[in-house]
This record gives sequence, structure tokens and C-alpha cells, in this order.
Amino acid sequence: MAPQMKGLTQFIMDLRAAQDAAEERKRINVEVSNIRAKFATSLTSYQKKKYVCKLIYIYLLGLSEEVRFGLDQAYDLLSSSNYLEKQLGYLLVSLLLNRTGITPLNFVQELIERTQTHLIRDLRVDSDDINILALLFIASNFNFPAVGHQKTVIITNTDPTAEFWQELIPLVYGLCVSPTSTNLVKKKASVALLALLRLCPSVLITNDNWIPRLLSLIDDTDISLILSAVPLASLLTEFKPSYAKAIMPSVAQRLYSLVVDATCPSDEFYYDTPSPWLVIKLLQLTEHYFVKTGSSDSLDATTVQSIRLVVSRSIQNALVPRLAQTSRNTHSAILFQAVSILTYLDASPDALSGAVKALVQLIDSQETNTRYLALDTLIKLVARSEAKIPFVEHLEKIFTSLHNKDISVRRKTIDLLYIVCDEMSYTQIVNHLLDYYPSSETSLRASISVKIALIAERFATDSTWYVSSMLRLLSISGSTANPNVRIDGVLEGEVWERVAQVIVNNEDLTIKACKYIVNILRKSSGAPEGDSLMKVSAFVLGEFGYKLAEQSNSENEQFGINSQFQILYDSYFTSSLLTRPLILSAFLKFINRFPKADFVPDIMDLLEVETLSLDLEIQNRASEFLKIATFLVSSNYEDVSFAKSLLLPLPPFENKENKLLRQLGSLALVNRSTSSFKRTLVGSPAPNGPDNSENFDEKSNPFFEDEAPKPLPLTPNWYGGYHRMLQYDAGIFYEDQLVKLTYKIQRSGYAYTISFTIINNAARNSGATISAFTVSDISTDNKGEYIVNLTKTPDLTITDRSSMEFEARICDIVENKCGPVISISYKCSGSFNSLRLKIPISLLKGLSGTTMASIDDFKKRWVQIGTLLGVEEGELSGLLCAPHRYNCAFLASTLQRIGFAIVQKTPDNPGENIMITGAGILKTLKSNYGVLISLRSTDLDAKAFQLTVRATGAGLSAIMFGLVQEILSLQN
Amino acid sequence: MPVQFTLLLSRQGKVRLSKWYRATSQKEKSKITRELTTIILSRRAKMCNILEYKDIKIVYRRYASLFFVMGIDASDNGLLTLEIIHRYVEQMDKLFGNVCELDIIFGFSKAYYILDELILDGYVMESSKREVIKKVSQQDELENMDEFETVMA
Repeated sequence: MAPQMKGLTQFIMDLRAAQDAAEERKRINVEVSNIRAKFATSLTSYQKKKYVCKLIYIYLLGLSEEVRFGLDQAYDLLSSSNYLEKQLGYLLVSLLLNRTGITPLNFVQELIERTQTHLIRDLRVDSDDINILALLFIASNFNFPAVGHQKTVIITNTDPTAEFWQELIPLVYGLCVSPTSTNLVKKKASVALLALLRLCPSVLITNDNWIPRLLSLIDDTDISLILSAVPLASLLTEFKPSYAKAIMPSVAQRLYSLVVDATCPSDEFYYDTPSPWLVIKLLQLTEHYFVKTGSSDSLDATTVQSIRLVVSRSIQNALVPRLAQTSRNTHSAILFQAVSILTYLDASPDALSGAVKALVQLIDSQETNTRYLALDTLIKLVARSEAKIPFVEHLEKIFTSLHNKDISVRRKTIDLLYIVCDEMSYTQIVNHLLDYYPSSETSLRASISVKIALIAERFATDSTWYVSSMLRLLSISGSTANPNVRIDGVLEGEVWERVAQVIVNNEDLTIKACKYIVNILRKSSGAPEGDSLMKVSAFVLGEFGYKLAEQSNSENEQFGINSQFQILYDSYFTSSLLTRPLILSAFLKFINRFPKADFVPDIMDLLEVETLSLDLEIQNRASEFLKIATFLVSSNYEDVSFAKSLLLPLPPFENKENKLLRQLGSLALVNRSTSSFKRTLVGSPAPNGPDNSENFDEKSNPFFEDEAPKPLPLTPNWYGGYHRMLQYDAGIFYEDQLVKLTYKIQRSGYAYTISFTIINNAARNSGATISAFTVSDISTDNKGEYIVNLTKTPDLTITDRSSMEFEARICDIVENKCGPVISISYKCSGSFNSLRLKIPISLLKGLSGTTMASIDDFKKRWVQIGTLLGVEEGELSGLLCAPHRYNCAFLASTLQRIGFAIVQKTPDNPGENIMITGAGILKTLKSNYGVLISLRSTDLDAKAFQLTVRATGAGLSAIMFGLVQEILSLQN
Repeated sequence: MPVQFTLLLSRQGKVRLSKWYRATSQKEKSKITRELTTIILSRRAKMCNILEYKDIKIVYRRYASLFFVMGIDASDNGLLTLEIIHRYVEQMDKLFGNVCELDIIFGFSKAYYILDELILDGYVMESSKREVIKKVSQQDELENMDEFETVMA
């Protein structure tokens, strides 16, 4: 905004000087009608800007409806050639757009229809500033909640606006990856692209070759650019999880240099911390990866080691005392983020308890924020950790924060106590919470009582302890909190229901519970008790009181049925209307058990009185119960047995689900978001930990329903290296102007290692360095016949050469040509390159020669296979033509090289027919096979051959036949 | 992961700046603003700057008469968000020269501009402290140029 805009300043000052709301409103109305009139006339650039600024100011005051008329003017400004007018135009459009009363989808459609031409024009213009305006507009207006959120808006290919998007998105993509874009443009473009891809994920399906190029943005050297690109990278890896693993080495390396080496341009330091924003974002990305895969097993050792070092350095950094608050904050922030991935790193118990110690130390911190977050992180750490972390020594310290001044801290403390609770500490924790309860905030009480109930049920081994603690809980909680009132989303009433269920389902508890209840109620002798307690008492005594009464004798009369009745009767009128019906039920059950007792008339009287009750429930019950009671005490046998049939004892509760578990609030969220949450809570089905691997699958992605992305083409010239690798165990696999890959194979039985050396050819030609060298994907169409793993990742930056290693294992008979395709991407002097090369995983690598004593031995085996498997399955024979003449020595050495032992060959005389026989043993993980081969020329030129293969596995001979044919380049 | 909204509230409960990074209806916006104003203004100084609100976390910090408020995902890093706020205030301080509430009222477009350079679509995208200042100064220059052209025209 230009400082010279006097009208605007005057307007703002007028508004500030206004005495009351009415005067302010009057001034605004005057201005609005003034602007309306002015817009109708032709205006100079300065005037336009001034009025638009005033509109924006009015909008900011909260008067969004009054300024809606400015929208057309705003669209006009978009096509202005003046930068500032355009900027105001974009700002005004995004402010004035009406989002109410319209579905998000319609909103987006309308918006793109109106702005599409402007955006495309501004993206194409060769001016960074104008490009950025359009990108900013896209990023801030086409953003809808992230994937997984219920309100997600998706533009499908059949959408009426689909073609607009298809034109717009490639432009933004272009700005992201073009070598001519400045970093500033790339930054904004990557965030804009993120918003667009969320809206139209289908674009990625058709353009999945974009992904590696976009991911290479996070390998850039500009910290700010990486920072802007990380959210995009995280979305892309969500779409295509296979890429997530590929970027981890680079992420880990960057983290290592930021956290451990603390190297980064001085501009990027925030006080004494190197770009904390990036560190945290990368840690979050790592955490995301771990949560999805469940462990760090799939990563190579160097990467895991770097991450480990990053975490341990973060912990050390946070423990160093620092003076400046900002620096303390950032280090703690990084600590909290780092600790949350600790459990995925197979951390040793020492490392875990070290982290716990560091965090517990922070609970003592002077700053509330740090305390709060330390508690929060501890909760996460404990929830995710599979190993048990002993907390007993820290409990006292945690208890002290129950008395913190801030309620959020207290709430977190309660959550933490719940989650750290174990067999060792549960009595201590429950007792402490019970002591704490009366002094706690009303809004915390529901949460405390739910947690006490859950802990007690989960760990209690001593039933007496369980009943006494729970009843104590009910007696202190019920008298203060109003049951069935929602406090914090928790139904207080449900605790007593759960207690009642537990008592019903555990027979050995019933009598103890009755005894305990009688004692408590007698102690309070008539004073108003907690409602929850009264409910449980009425229920339990009604249901099981007779058992206790049967045990009682003259010595402990207080447990007799008369005494039980008296207790309930005394508290009837002090109880709430919600409790009374339960007491009435208890009375009816008493009559059922003891129809001749002294108290029966009292109950009858009470029921009669209550038939006049104003409470519908009580009145209803009273009149029904009165009728049943009359039947029960009557002498008519039929009436009695009818009434008794209505009052059968309660069967055990079958529903094992504990409703209280649903009320854990934010704690439940922790459980859900962590896949490796291994603690099973009482009665709830085990969290689905192990099958989480399935989630890491494109199928579960809503955007990839059935449309399988079509495979990308292989790099031209891939076949030479493929063919070479089929027969030779070392050589050049691929070479172009920029890069050369050589390989070496080391065999050991059915497994073998392929070591590649990557040589930077560009360095020799132009001195350029290869950067961001990543193996982004190993794709196989393999049903478990073989396993290929990248065991050593190459360096990201290659000045001269680097190496990588694959380990392959042949598990079963592998069809020809179904080898894995490795995708490699790298940058070299500004250009982005990718390679897609196929590696042969051929059975030949598991083949080793077997020496046969003589040709007779060979013949014997040959016949054996024929008789055992039959010629159909065991043999394949065919006539082949060679492109040129082969001599016998060459053929024999080729066969030897691929793994056959030569049994017999004809001497190398031109003009004579060639005949070679060979034998080998094929090893796979599953089984070993014998393979016999015979090659015989059918003409004197040695260009036509009869090749026959016999093998002991069904179908194996055909595969071997194909391989030999491919190697010798023979044709049918 | 991203920031969901940024609000600047005065001690009297007036909104001085608001920026929403997620599609939110006007009704929802006013409701959240109203509720947060009540909650935050009633909190005492020593209290935690991070609080849970619905299913998100609210991070706020007071600078003189202004409360800077950000809403973030429950799983996001609260402490770092506090530092983002601090960064924003630092940047404004540099650009306005000892910034005060009045500067933000009168220079609202600049305040927005600085925020946009720091956070786009909810993602912090600039970690260099000089870059934002450079960009905003360029912007000022551009405007002056523009003024100049208007005068000449």
C-alpha cells in the first residue's frame, strides 16, 4: 500500500475517531455508496487502487456483505497490466469470494471458470513477479482440507471444469521444475502445485513421470526451497508410497548435516539453531514414513544410523542449559519432534530411558509451554514404545505437575499417568488420583474417574482392591458431579454402569461388593451419598444382597437383609429422581427373595405412595412393581410363579466392549495415529498392528481405485546391458554421455550380489557434478519367485564415482524377462535425468556346473528325466538359426560361462557337425534342479542348431531353452 | 502439518488481521474468532501458550497489546509454531521499525504481505531471515515506481 494514499488514511482515522458503533457504521455507509458511485465512472489507476484499498479495509472490519459489489471491479483489475493493480485485484478477489451457502465443489468450479484465463495468462508471462501473483492466488484459494479429511473436494476427469485444470496444472508443474525458474518462483509453485494436486489427484496418475522430478526438489541446496517442497514431497509419497523409501536417504543426510554438523547458510539460522523449520519438517516426514511402515527395517543401515545420531544429538542439545528463551524453545521443539521417531529406531532400553530422563527433566521447567509439551511427548513416546519403560522412579515428579497452575498441564498429566500405568505402579497411581480427585477442577473430574476405572479394571489382580477403589471413586465422585451431564464430552454416569457390569460378571466379587457397600453406606448413615454410588448400591444389593444375608448371623447383623433394606430405605428420599427407580427395583427384588420379611409392608406403602409420583418413570415403575409385589406375597401359587418368572437373575453381560474406552478423548487419538500401539486395553479388540503393512499400499489410496498407472517405458539402449548381465558376471551395464554404470556379480548358491559402480561421465566431458542421485523405485511384477533389495544406496552427489549394491535371491523358478526395473533419477548441470533399466534376475545365476564321469552318465540321467517327467514336461527341443557361424569352442565357452559343465564336445573342425552336451545344477531357495543340455548343428555351416534341454522341474526346460536361445541370439 | 489460520487480536478483542489457510465458511470463521477471543483474553500471563481447541491446537503469544494466534493440527509442533510467531513479529519489527499495533492497523497490507512471504497455504516456506525483508523492500520499491508512473502519466 502506498504510503501516500491520503484518502485511505483519512478514512481509517475517521473510523478510529468514531464515538460509537452507529457513527462508525454511518461513516462506512457513506464511503460504500461513494465507492459504488465511483466504480460506475471511469477511474485512474490511483483512484482504483484507493477505492479497492478502502473496500479491503471495510472488509477487514468484518462487514463482508457490504463490499460484495466490488467483486466485478476486482476481476477487471486482474487483467490490468499494472503490477500493483493486478496484485490488489487478486487480493480483493480472494477476499470477496463468497464461500457461504455454496458447496466447496461448486465454489471451486465457479472460481476456476472466472479466473482461469487470468491465471493462465499470468503464469505464461515472462515475469517472476506476475507469475508469483498467480501462484500465490492458487495456493491460497484452491486449498481444501488434506486427504482423509471428510470435506475433501476432488475434481474428477469428468468434471465440467476438468479441461481448465488440465491446462493449468502442467503450467504450474513447469514452473516447479524448469531449470530457468528462479528459486523464488519454484518455492511458490511447489506450494501451489500441492494445492492443485490435492484437488485433482487424477493428474498424477496420467503424469506419474512427474513424481521423481518433483521429489528432486528436496535435494536442492537452497534450504528455503526444500522447506517449501517438503509438503509436496509428503503428498507425493502418499500417492506413491514406493517413493517414500527412495527419498529417505536424502532426508536423513540433510537432517544429519543440519542437526549433527550444524552446517547451513548463516541466513538460515534462527538464533543459534540451523533452520529449525526445516529440521522439524524433515523429522515429521521421517515420522510419517515410520508410522506407515511400522519400523526402520526397510531402510539401509547408513540412513538409519544418521537418523539415530540426529535423534541423540537433539536430546543432547535440549539438555544444554541456555539463556535465551527462543533458543531453548527451538531446541525443545526439535527434541519433542525427534523423540517421537525414537521408538521406530529399535532404540536400546538405555536410549529410551535416556530420552525419558531428558523429558522428565523438562517437566520441571519454569516454562509452562515446555512442561506441557514434555508431558505430551512422553505420552506419545510411551504409547508407541513396545518395550516397557520403567516410570516408577519418575512418578513423584509427574505427580507434582498435577498441581500446576495451568489446567492444560494438569489434564496432560492425568493422560500421562494413565498411559504409563503398569503392574508395578497401578496402586500408587490410582491412590494418588483418588486423593487428588476432591481438589481437582470440575471439568477434569470426569476424565479422572474414567481413567481410574479403566486402570483399575485393567491391572487389578486383587478383587477386594478393585471393589474398594471403585466404590471409593464412586463415593467421592458421585456427590460432586451431576451424573449424565456431559463434562468434557464424558458421560459421568457410565463409570458406575461399568462397575456394575464387572461385578455381575465376576462371581467372587459379588459378596465382597455387598459387604463393602453396606459398610460405606452405614458409615455415612443417612447423609446424602453420591448418586453413582447409590445406583451401584441399589443395583448390587438388589441383585446379590441375599447372598450376603445368607452368610450373616447374629454376630454380624449389620449384613442381614433387614439391615440392608434399612440402609436403602433411609437414603431413598435423599436420592435423586434418577436413582429412585433403581432403588425401587432393588426393593422388588428383596420381596422376591424374602416375601415374608418384616419390611415387606414398608415397601408396599412406599410403592403405593410413589404411584402418585410426578416423575413418570417412578410412577410407572411403582404401579407395575406394586402389582408384581402383590402377586409375590399372595398365597396363590400361580400368581407367585408368574411374578417370579418376571424377576429372573441377571445373566452375565455379553458385550465385552468397554464404553469407557471411547471416552479417552485426545489419548485415543494418540492410539489411533500410531500403528505400533501394542498395548491392548481391556476388552477391546487388539489394535490392528501387524496388518498395517497393507495400508502402505496404493490400493488403499482412495485416488487410485482401479486405475493402474501404466508402466513407464524403459530407457532406450537398456537391452545391451541386460543381455550382457545375462551371460557375463561383470561388465558395463549402461552408459550414456553423463553416466556410466558397471557391474559385478558375486554368486553364492541361489543368492547373488550385484555391485554397481556409478561413474560420472559428465565430469570427464564438462566437469559437471551429478547431484541428487537417487534410486527411486525397484518395481517388480513378481509373485515371490525372487527377492531383490537395495543393500547399499549410492551417494547423493557424485563427483567421480560411487557404488550401490543389490542383493537378489532366487526363491522359485523365475520366468524369463520378468526381472525388476530400477528407476534412477539424478540432476546434472541443471537438467533432470531419469533412467529406467531392467535387471535380469535369471535362473542362470543360480546354475553351477556339475561334473559327470562320462557321457554314459549323462545319457543315463537324460533317460531318467525322460521317464520320470515325460518328454512333455521335462524336455524342450527346437530348431534354431544363428545369425552367423559359431564354432564349437565358442559355444562351449559360452555354455560354461553361464554355468554349465561341458560333458562332451566334438573337436573344432570346420565342415564337421558340432555336438555339445552340458550339465548343471540349478539352486533356488525352494529346491534344486538338474539341467541337461545338448546342442547339435544340423548343417555344415554351423548356423542351424537343434537345441534340446531336459530339466527335472516341470516347465523349467522351456525357460532354460529360452535363456540359452536369448544368449546365443538364436532365432526360431 | 500446516498452519490452519493466523489471527491478530487486540487486547480489546478486535481482530487486527486474519488469514485462513483452509476453506472455512464465514459463519465458522466468526464463530472460531469469537470463541478464541473469549478463551485467550481470559487466560492469565503465566499460562501455557498452547491449548487444545476442538480437534486442533491453538498457539498464541502476546506482544504488547496484541495477541498473535495460530491454529495448527493436533499432531503438529506447538513450540515451533510459537517461534514462527516470533519470527513474524521480528520481521515486522525490522520492516516497520519497532512495530506497534497502530502500524499494523494502518499498514495492514504490508503486514499481510510479510505474513504471506513467511507462510503460504499454511506452510512455512521461508527460513532465511533476510529473504523476507528483501522481498518486502522490493515490493515497496515496486510500489514507489508505480506511483512514479502514475505521476508521469
